[in-house]
Parts: sequence; C-alpha cells; structure tokens
Amino acid sequence: MTKNLKIGVFLCECGGNISDTVDLDKVRQALDVEVIEQFENLCSLNGRKIIRDAIIDHHLDRIVIGACSPISHEKTFQDYVKPLNPYLMDMANIREQCSWVHDDKEKATKKAITLINASIEKVKQSDEVNPIYCQTPDEVAVIGGGIAGMNAALSLARQGTKVTIVEQSPSLGGHMAKIGKVFSPVKIAEECGMCLLNPILNDLVWNENITVWTNSKVINADRRAGTYNLIVEKSPRFVDPDKCIACGKCTEVCEVEVPDDWNEGLSLRKAIYRPFGQSYPEAYVIDPDACNKCGNCKRQCMMNAITLKQKPENVPLQAGSLIIATGHQLIDPNKRPDYSYKRHPDIITQAELGRITGVNGPTKGELLKANGKVPKRVVMIQCVGSRDEKPDGHKHCSKICCSVASKNANIIKHKYPDTDVVICYTDVRTPGMFEKYYKHTQANEVRFLRGRPGEVAVKGDNLIVRVENTIKGEFEEIEADMVVLSTAMEPSEGTKEIAKILNLGTTEDSFIKESHPKIKPVTTDVQGVFVCGTAQDPKDITDSIMQATSAASKVAEYNYGGVKIEPFIADIDHEKCQLCGDCLAKCKFKALSIVDDELFLDPMSCDGCGKCLTVCQHGAININGNIDEKIFATIDGVLSKKEDDERMILVFLDTIGYTAADNIGVNRLKYPESIHIIKVHSVNRVRPSHIKHALDNGADGIFIGEFPGDLMYDEVEQKIERVKAQIAKVNENPNRLAFSKVYIPYFEGLARKLNDFDRQIENLNEIEGV
Amino acid sequence: MTTNQKITDTPINFAEEIIANVKNTKDDGVLKCVQCGLCTSTCPAARHSEYNPREIIERVLEGDETIIAEDYLWNCFYCYTCHSVCPVGNSVCEVNQILKQFAINQGIGWDKLYEYLGFADSYFDAAIGAIPEIFFDDIAKDVPGWEEIRFDKLDENRDKLNLYPPLMPPEDVIDEVSLILTITGFKERMENIRKSQEAEVEK
Amino acid sequence: MKNIPDKNLLLFRSCLVSVEYPGIESSTKYVFEKLGIDYGISEKQTCCTGLGHYSDVFDQVSTTAIGARNFKVAQNLGRPNLVMMCATCYAINKKSVKLLNNKDDLREEINELFEENGLDHLKYEKNDLTPTENIFHFVDILYGKKDEIKKHVKYDLSQYKIATHHGCHYCKVHYEDTIAGVRDPNIIDELIEACGCKTIGWYDHKRASCGTGFRQRYSNPDLSFTATADKMKSLKDENVEILVHLCPNCHIQFDRYQPLISQREGREFKAIHLNISQFIAIAMGADWESVVGVQAHTSKIDSVITELKEVES
Repeated sequence: MTKNLKIGVFLCECGGNISDTVDLDKVRQALDVEVIEQFENLCSLNGRKIIRDAIIDHHLDRIVIGACSPISHEKTFQDYVKPLNPYLMDMANIREQCSWVHDDKEKATKKAITLINASIEKVKQSDEVNPIYCQTPDEVAVIGGGIAGMNAALSLARQGTKVTIVEQSPSLGGHMAKIGKVFSPVKIAEECGMCLLNPILNDLVWNENITVWTNSKVINADRRAGTYNLIVEKSPRFVDPDKCIACGKCTEVCEVEVPDDWNEGLSLRKAIYRPFGQSYPEAYVIDPDACNKCGNCKRQCMMNAITLKQKPENVPLQAGSLIIATGHQLIDPNKRPDYSYKRHPDIITQAELGRITGVNGPTKGELLKANGKVPKRVVMIQCVGSRDEKPDGHKHCSKICCSVASKNANIIKHKYPDTDVVICYTDVRTPGMFEKYYKHTQANEVRFLRGRPGEVAVKGDNLIVRVENTIKGEFEEIEADMVVLSTAMEPSEGTKEIAKILNLGTTEDSFIKESHPKIKPVTTDVQGVFVCGTAQDPKDITDSIMQATSAASKVAEYNYGGVKIEPFIADIDHEKCQLCGDCLAKCKFKALSIVDDELFLDPMSCDGCGKCLTVCQHGAININGNIDEKIFATIDGVLSKKEDDERMILVFLDTIGYTAADNIGVNRLKYPESIHIIKVHSVNRVRPSHIKHALDNGADGIFIGEFPGDLMYDEVEQKIERVKAQIAKVNENPNRLAFSKVYIPYFEGLARKLNDFDRQIENLNEIEGV
Repeated sequence: MTTNQKITDTPINFAEEIIANVKNTKDDGVLKCVQCGLCTSTCPAARHSEYNPREIIERVLEGDETIIAEDYLWNCFYCYTCHSVCPVGNSVCEVNQILKQFAINQGIGWDKLYEYLGFADSYFDAAIGAIPEIFFDDIAKDVPGWEEIRFDKLDENRDKLNLYPPLMPPEDVIDEVSLILTITGFKERMENIRKSQEAEVEK
Repeated sequence: MKNIPDKNLLLFRSCLVSVEYPGIESSTKYVFEKLGIDYGISEKQTCCTGLGHYSDVFDQVSTTAIGARNFKVAQNLGRPNLVMMCATCYAINKKSVKLLNNKDDLREEINELFEENGLDHLKYEKNDLTPTENIFHFVDILYGKKDEIKKHVKYDLSQYKIATHHGCHYCKVHYEDTIAGVRDPNIIDELIEACGCKTIGWYDHKRASCGTGFRQRYSNPDLSFTATADKMKSLKDENVEILVHLCPNCHIQFDRYQPLISQREGREFKAIHLNISQFIAIAMGADWESVVGVQAHTSKIDSVITELKEVES
C-alpha cells in the first residue's frame, strides 16, 4: 500500500540559512518523489499557497518539509498542509541540525538528503489521526472543609461550578476555628481568627453552588472518562440540621461528659453538643462513642430533631475534578518523652496554649496553671518533632512554629507583662514581613535563647528545662512553671487515607506531593486531582488560601477550556485484554485503572511512553499512530544510502533533548556529519528491537539522551543497561550504545558528548576493522 | 581578635577525613550539624565538666585540627546519648572516638592510654578483657569487700553456680586471638606506646 | 518490631559477668531453660574487646577482626544468633556486623589479613550475619517470651519499690533496633511487669548513663561518680528499693560504688541492684546462692528482699 503513496517534498532556503550550506539543487536531483518544490521562505503565506496548491493539483498523500526544526514551525506546517491530516506531514530539520552545525557543503548536502529521505520513509508509515479533546464535567468535590477547602470551594462556586465539600468532622472550619488569634505581619498585631473566618463561612453557606457534607469521608474512588465516581460514607449526626434550631436545651439534660476536642481536651463537653459557637451546620450533633442512649435529649427536643437510631450510609458522588484539602495534625508530644508532656499538666502544646488564651477557650482567656495561678516563667521549646531525623520525628521544618510561638508569647506578654517568656530555638525562621513581627516580639521583652533543650524535668513545684545556651556555650538548667512545646505539623490521618484511596504520590513524611515543586505546585501526579493547604506541606493560613485559589483556577482551566491531547497515546483492545493488571503497576503516569471489569485509559494522563505495551502478554495495548513502525522506517531511511566509508550514528531524543540539540545549531557549535538526530515522542519508545535493527543494518553507534526529570528516566537507564548486556552476549561491543543525561540549557555539553561519542565510534571502527 | 581565613585554606577537609574513617557510621552527618546544642543539652560530661560536644563539631567544621590535642576530649562517657538524639543524624560520640584515634596515631594522648594497656595484655594472656591491675588498689579502697568477692571467692562462687565452660578459653583459642591482634598491628602499637611511656618515666 | 528468635542461640559470655557477677550468667541460663529457649555456650568464644575498645586502646580493625572470629565460632556451631548479657558486647558486635556488611574495604582488609596468616577459616562473607536478625541482647529474647514468663512466676515481688536502669549501649548505640523506647526506655520495666510487678516508670535522669563512662570511672572519678549521683539522688527521692539492670558494667557502678557515693554525697543510698535475669530468676523461685549468685553483690540482696511471698494462684 505504501508503494503507491504520492509524496511531496518542499524545501526551504530560509533566506540562505539553509541554501548557503546545503546545495538544494543536488538535493532535488537525489530524491525520487511525486513533487519537489523549493522556496526562499516556506513558512510565509506564499509558502502555504505553494504547498496547498501542490497537494490539490497532484493529489499528494504525504508531505515532507525540509526546513527548520519542528520545534519552531511544526504547528505552522501542520496548518499549511490542510486539507491533509496534519499528522501526514513530517519535517526534516536541515537547518538547526544540518546547515547550522556543518561547514563542509558537500557533506552537509549529503546529510540533508539522508534526513529528508528518513522523513519520507517515516511519513509513509503515518496514518491519519486526530487530536483527542477531553472535557471534564463541571462538578467538583473538595475534600476537607478547613480554611483551604473552604476558599477553594468558594472560588469555584463563584465562577459557577457546582462544588460539594466533604468534611469528616461535624463542622466546617478546621484548625483555624480553634486557634484564637492569628498573627498579622503587616499590622504587627494579633487579630481575632474567628472574626476573619466567619465572613468566609457565611459566604460559603449562602452560595447556592456549594453543598456541604459534614460527618462524611471518601471511602472509595474510581475514575472514568474524566469523571471521578466517589463513594462517601456519611456518618449519622443523630440531629436533623434542618429541624434543629440550636437552642441547646438537649445539652442541658445530657448527663455524659467527655473531654472537648475543640478545646484540645482542656475542658469537658456533653455527648450531645455543638462543636463551637459559630460551627456550621448550625445544629447540634451526638458523639456516638460517648452517648449512652438514655434518650433525655430526645425527650427534651421541642423540634423533634433527634433520632437515636441512625446508621452510616454510603452515598455516591460524581465529580470532574477533586481538590484535596485534608490538612494536617500536630505530632503527638509523647513521641518526644524527654519533654515530659504526659508527666505534668503545665507542660502543654502551642495548640493547647492557643485554646487557653482564646477568649472562647476553657479559661475564657486566662493563662492559668493547673493550680490556678498565673505562671511566672513560660519556656517554649521549638522544633518538637520537626527538623528531627530520629525515629518518630519529621525531617521537615514545620514553617509556622516560630511565628506561632512569637504570637503566643506576645499574647502572654500583653496580658501578663510580669511573666517571663523564653523561646528556646535552633533558628528563628520568620521570612519576609514576619521578620518585623519577630522584632516586635523581641521589643515586647520576650527572650530568645539559642539552643535545643534536651529534657524537661519535674522537680518539686517547678519544671527544669535543661539546655545548652549555644551562644554562651554553657549548659543551663532553667526553672519554669510552664513549658510550651511547639509540636511539628504532620499530615492528618484524612490526608494519608485519601492519598491511599486516590493513589496519590506522597513525600517521605506522607504529605501529598505536588507534580513539581516549582512549576506545578498544586497539581498531583494523578490527573484531575489538585492539592492545597497543609495536606501538601506545612504552611500558614495565607499560603493555604493562596494555594486553594490557585487549585481552584487550575480546575477552572479544565472545566472551561477542555483539554486537547496529542493522539499518540495508548489504545486498549478490550477483546484481547484479560484484566491481568500487569500494566497498572508499570504505568508511571497512573493513567490506567480497572473500572467495572474493564481496563480504562485516562487520555489526559497517558504520555504515550509505551511501557504498558511491553508488559502486556496478550498484545492488548497499542500506541496510536504506528510509532514503532515509524521508528523502524526512520532508521531505514537514514541507513539506506550509507556508503562504505561513511560513519552513521543515530541519536534518539525526545522534545527536551531535541530542543537542546537545536540549541547547538542556534549557537553555531559543531558536531560531525555522522550524527543523525531522530526525534521521538518518548525516549522509552525506542525499543531493544529498534536498537538491534539499527546496529544490524549499518548504524555504527546509537546515542540515547534523556532528561533526568522525566518520569521514565530510571526505566530508560535500566533498559539501556539491559540492552548493552545483550549486545555483549552476542560478542558485539556494548560501547556502540551510549546513554546520557540531557538538559536544554546544557547544549554545549551535548555537543561535546556527541563529538566524543563520534570519536569513540571511530576508534572502535579502527580497532574492529569495520 | 581576628582569625584570618586564607584563600588556600580548606577547612572542610578535616570533616571529610572524619567521614572517611572506618568508625564512622553516620555518612556525612557531621557536615549537617546546625549547632542546635541538643548534644550538649543531654550530655552527662557537659553537665559536670568543661566538655562540650557541640563545640567539638564547631571546631571540626572550622577545620581546627588542634582539637585532637584537647584534654577535654577524654571526658566523653561514650554513652551515645548525643548519637541517639542528634536531629540531623550526626554522632559526636563517634566523632570523638575518631578524633582520639587521630590523636593516638600522631602520638598524642599516649599517657592517657598507658594505664589502660592492661586491657590489651589480658587478650594476649587469656583472650578476655580484664580490668587492668594498675587500678586494683583504687578499687579495693573504694569498694568494700571487692577483693574477697573478685579474687578469694570467685572460683568457689563459680563452682557453686555450676558455670561451664571455665573462665579461661583453651590455649589454641588464646593463640589464635594473639595472632589476630598481632597481624592487625595492634600488638606493635601497644608495645610502642608502652615503650615510649616507660621511657618518659625513666627520664 | 524485630523478629526475635528462640532457637539456635549462642549465649555470648561477658568478661564482667564472668568475674564480677557470675550469677547473671547462671540466672540467664536458668530463665532460658524455664522458657524453653534453645541456647548453647562455647569455650571458643572470646571477649568482644569492649572495655579496651571504649578505653581507646583497641582500634576498629582489631575489634572487628575479633568480632569476625567470634561470628565464625557461632556459625560453626549452627548457632548464628548471638545473645549478649552485656550492653557493650551487644553494641560492639552489632557495629562489627554492620561494618563488615557495609564497608567493603574494611571487610576485604580483614579477610586479607586472615588469608595471609593462615586464618582462612575465619573469613567473613558479606551478609554472613544480619545485624537485626542475628545480634541480640538477652532482654530482646525475654521480651519475645513475655507471656511465657508470666506462667513461671512463683514469688510476688510487687511490694517493693522498683526502678530500672537501661544500659546506654543497649538503648542508644543501635537505637533503630531498640525495643520499647530509647528516650524513655522501658524494656526492663515491661519484663518486670511480666513478673506481676509495677515499676515506678520514669524518674529524672532515667535515660542517662550510669556514670561509668569507661575510663571516667578510673581516671576521672569525680566526673564519673557525680554523674552516677545524679541518678542515685533521683532514685532516692522516689524511695526506690530495687534498681534493675541489663548491663554488668552499670551494675558494678551502682552496686559496688554505692557506699562510696553515699559517702561523697553525704546521703545514704540503700537500694539493691539486680540484673533483670536475676530478678526474673528470683521471681521464678531460683535458689539465691546456687543460681542467682547474690553472694557476689556488694549491696546485700536480703537487706531489701526479706521474705518471699508466693503468688496467689
């Protein structure tokens, strides 16, 4: 079939950039195709006319453009070949990778012919394919109803998106509702946290695009055609929020008292309770672990809102995208027992101190020790479980503790100027504007002592903090009557659970990992799942909100723009697929899943690397667009006109490596004419059979370059090692195959490596008498 | 006071030497020290003497090789508390041992080793570690009844407890251990230290 | 949690146990036998070098070469699981296994020395032993048999005020492998609990060193005994009567030097000191003289344990 294809070749002079070095007349003579045209600027609109007319007049089936790099003008020429399918055109790069890197006219001309010939062989294998358009449903689930989740939901809802917030606890608000005052670096003051949170909560409650599910958690998730199907377990509230008027009469008659988790267990609450004054939904709730089902509350409720018999129910929830805002928890201070947290009531955490100093806290804001007296000296210990690589600790800096300690120290100093406050620190980390707040804290006569305490001992009425004052170089025992531990932030249980359910990549401390810390800070390694707030890493309220709104706008891109995907991705033959699942584990892009007994490929996730193909024993997976055949054809095209004394080196690069190679030309560095660069969609698509075929058919050397940031890098490196071992087994020289890291800015290095590799192959040829 | 850092100074080489030492099990932990002082905060020697583990690392990272001659290095209890809590994965306890081996290799601290050579002798004599005789008088003075328990009644006690095998390993085992300690260079090192110290006494 | 074996054990003899408190060895054997633990003992095994090593006399190559020889002794007996009675033997041997496995240069250096001197039979192959699978302190083994211990307890010692001292070289050197706490060590407390008693748990300086500090005891006695006094004072504040140990060197420091430290501090410390194996042996009904070996103790055991009350069944 390919024999009868009518092929047109169009050569660009590029205003002399090409034609000064490459003898285009000779090129034209050397090629045997239906049509061959030449123009001084093929990318101009006149060029378009020449190409289009030729296609129509000569009924051309395939087009080869001999011009600049496809990185520069592939999109242009894909447009110019209309009405032909854009993927039936291929570009031979005779500028960046020929005329700009070679001086010898004769050799450059010969190489241009080879490159064009390779493109001709390649397009013969091309099929008509179309880009895939994906549109995700305009419905979003936000997992977690703290400050991050609330802001993400609100941002999307205001853009018209339907949002469901799934919150595990009985109320929205998260940690921010508990912390009392927040610090403001600009005002150099502490502000009421609840007063800042409440307007956001109100906006959210009144936004009709938002549905709030409290007492709910995601227990299962799968994805099909851009849609997530979640199963949410709704635990009973036992109080109907539509009927409850929050009068509180039920609480008065409840006889069960348990520690109030909203007050960090520092006070008691009843088994039927409202989490806090401004909690949403504005309704009471029964704690099923505490309730003894006496029925007092039910009898008392005038609204008939209470049902004591309720069971959890599993509810489906559909969403196009997910935003994970499941937040953090604080490390258990007993993991550092040296600080004696469980041995004395006046050794507390910053979170507990936050509740104690809160006017809505257990002591109405009075700072009192267990004996009811105001402490004379409070010592704060920083980095409890943070910046600590020992078992049960976290290596990361929890980022907010220096500011939190300063805030609580200031609050104490403000109310009790006679109380001495000492902060034992390793480094004070108050970047940007927070440095001013640090100065403000020092001016408030809070003392900073540089040293990491070893232990806190309980001696008689006092606590003893043992620490080296590292500035003085002296071991000190500091008497205190209250010690406050700045405990590390770690991912919440909910964060760890959702990461498992959705198969999200995590950091070594189990936070949810972003795709790239610099350029993709809110996307995860699973398409359509975004992350924000402290589920991703320790951060303050400001950063949580910024990341939340950023996640919301990423979702909006999907929802409103849709996504156009290059068609060269995996394709599943469901007839052949046996659902063995071998491919699932191999896919680094997490594009494959089994949904309803069928293998499903998420086109938005697939990179077309082809790894799944190689593990499928049933031949059920293919990559669209004849990629394998095209690589074979390109190899043949390069090698078909090889002369006896000619050295042929094939270099396989993906877009990043290819761009680096182009940069060699752009900067007019040189490499030998033996180097022939072949652009592939993914370096992993170069299979051992391609390498063997090339070596068997005249290639003297093969060079494969990969960007180390590519997800497939390790795979490719290992594969090359295996192929080298195979080559050695058949008594060929494995040094004819080379693997190297490539980076776009490091084009000089690539040029040097190509030169070195050419010399290495030349030596090998001499030794082996090739 | 001013210290001058010459462009040709390479302070980090000292830490690299420590990292390369056979005793080091903490990779490049020493380089990660942030001088937080947790080691000193938990150190029994720092609590009761001028010993300061944090400062040892400070000086090591400054490339201050004179530290190997510091007397206070010998105050370390080898209790490994610093090693077990160091938040960055360093071990001052190991660094201390390495510094002392550097010192010994340079002929420093041999006077401090001299009294302990008995630990070496007992290996050649009996392939066991035994508290050096040189300390017996002190122990007898400090511990009432020790000589009776340790010497007069030991055999009787061991018999009563029906302990087998006996205290001393067989001859061939002692020979093998002696050979090992000779081929590692240990014997020669100990003899050199003994000779030099006894020469000092002569003087 | 590590995998704790109860078979193919080599009970590794300790120099300090042998000459100072031989009752620790006989008590350990007694308890092992009660618990049906399969152990052996070898006359070919030599000391770990610990005392000399931590006096800076021994270099690492010599210590590790001696270790390699002892590992071969264990392997040849078909008892590759080394079980120590002394915390320092535990630390030294575990480190030697780690170094032999991880530092190729050191292993090759030692093997070459062996080869060149007709000691081929001692050569160590990488991963001959695994630090977590083959190197234990006997408290690890007993911890694996906690429930079994309960069944053999004959006497109730719960009327005494008991505290524990955990040897640093068990807890802190290879802290990743330590069972039941490093910063708040509790393995002995849990074993005492298995005997039906409660300890006082935490006390100030619980995790601190005994104060021996190897050369400190002899060359720097002021420093050494001041550190010990920190602990003794804290224990006295809690009225502790029995301090339970897992290491003979700590045991010496507390038991032998208690009168001296009392004198130095002007405060009478009267606790008795038992190794955990001795404590369990007493609870199981072992004879004090022919098994527990109380006659070797400086602080007399019967000054505190005046009568033995049988456990109510």
